[in-house]
Amino acid sequence: MSNQKLPYRELETKIKEAEELIHALRTHQVDAIVGERHVTLVRLKQAEENLKNSRDQLRALVAHMLSVREDERAVIARELHDEFGLALTSLHLGLSWISRKLTPGQQPLQEKITSLSATTTSLIRSVRNIATELRPGVLDEFGLVKTLKSQAREFEGHTGIRCMVKTNAAQAKFDRLAAVSIFRIVQAALANIARHAEASRAVIALMKRKNGLILTLTDNGKGINRSLIVSHTSLGITGMRERALALGGTFTLRGSRGKGTTLTVQIPLSRILDSRVGA
Amino acid sequence: MKARNRGSRKSAKPRGETYLFRLFVAGNESNSSQARANLARLCEERIEGSYKIETVDVLKDPSTAYENKVLVTPTLILIKPLPKVTVLGNLNDTWQVLAALRLTPVQR
Repeated sequence: MSNQKLPYRELETKIKEAEELIHALRTHQVDAIVGERHVTLVRLKQAEENLKNSRDQLRALVAHMLSVREDERAVIARELHDEFGLALTSLHLGLSWISRKLTPGQQPLQEKITSLSATTTSLIRSVRNIATELRPGVLDEFGLVKTLKSQAREFEGHTGIRCMVKTNAAQAKFDRLAAVSIFRIVQAALANIARHAEASRAVIALMKRKNGLILTLTDNGKGINRSLIVSHTSLGITGMRERALALGGTFTLRGSRGKGTTLTVQIPLSRILDSRVGA
Repeated sequence: MKARNRGSRKSAKPRGETYLFRLFVAGNESNSSQARANLARLCEERIEGSYKIETVDVLKDPSTAYENKVLVTPTLILIKPLPKVTVLGNLNDTWQVLAALRLTPVQR
């Protein structure tokens, strides 16, 4: 009888040993793995800690870079608007003045002036668009919610995709940098919808909840596959994720074939509301 | 192979036995150092003067580890008294280690 029990006992011992080994590995109690010819040092816990530290440092650096970039953008936008905008407006006014001084016999010159005037008008419009793209003045002047509504209207006008904004945070005062980050996330998400989604409808929702501010962007397009979501080459998605994480928030992107895509960003209220004003 | 014999320090041997341990470590890696210190402490507390610890550094002597079927470090093998017992890890969990080595009062 004891002979029959032997293989079972051996098996039981082996299973126990295997369980102990797994436990030791899981709880980071293993220093080295011993082979016939090599001993491999295992420093998983240390490696994990190093990786986490590197990731934290990288994230802080990205947040700093984003902040510096926004400041630079604001300066360039102001310079463009003030310097170029003013100079081009003066040029336009000057051309109009010359045009009024011309006699009917100077028709070729009149045509040239009209053409130059049209070019100047076009340049003024371009400079204004570039300045707005760099730093939407409406964001500083009228706040995040109005900027998002303006962005949605503009998006609808450019793409023909119907775009709605839903919010319960119209009265909230947002921290300046946080507002810029949310605006940039929306801008990038809308650009993705325009380029890839093949959607006819998009909804931007900015909701203030007890546990934080929740931004969702949904579309009814062709969806997104998982490989694109996690790919490091999807720079737009990576940028949005980094902006959300820099605010201490979370970023999720879900999509299924033919059923559209939903982007959700959740940010703690303490990180996003302007502490000088309060909610 | 490095051996330490503390058996001659005191003669209070439980049931007259001398415990023989073989501890496999990887240099001064964190878990190995902890296992060394934990085993020495447990032995001093429980079987003072009645134990012998052989420490094998697998970085210097991998063949002994391989011959003893040691897969990872730290690994502690209770050679004597029989039956042999193998304990993996840094031996931080005092009660589990004592139970495994049959050093708890009930089991003794």
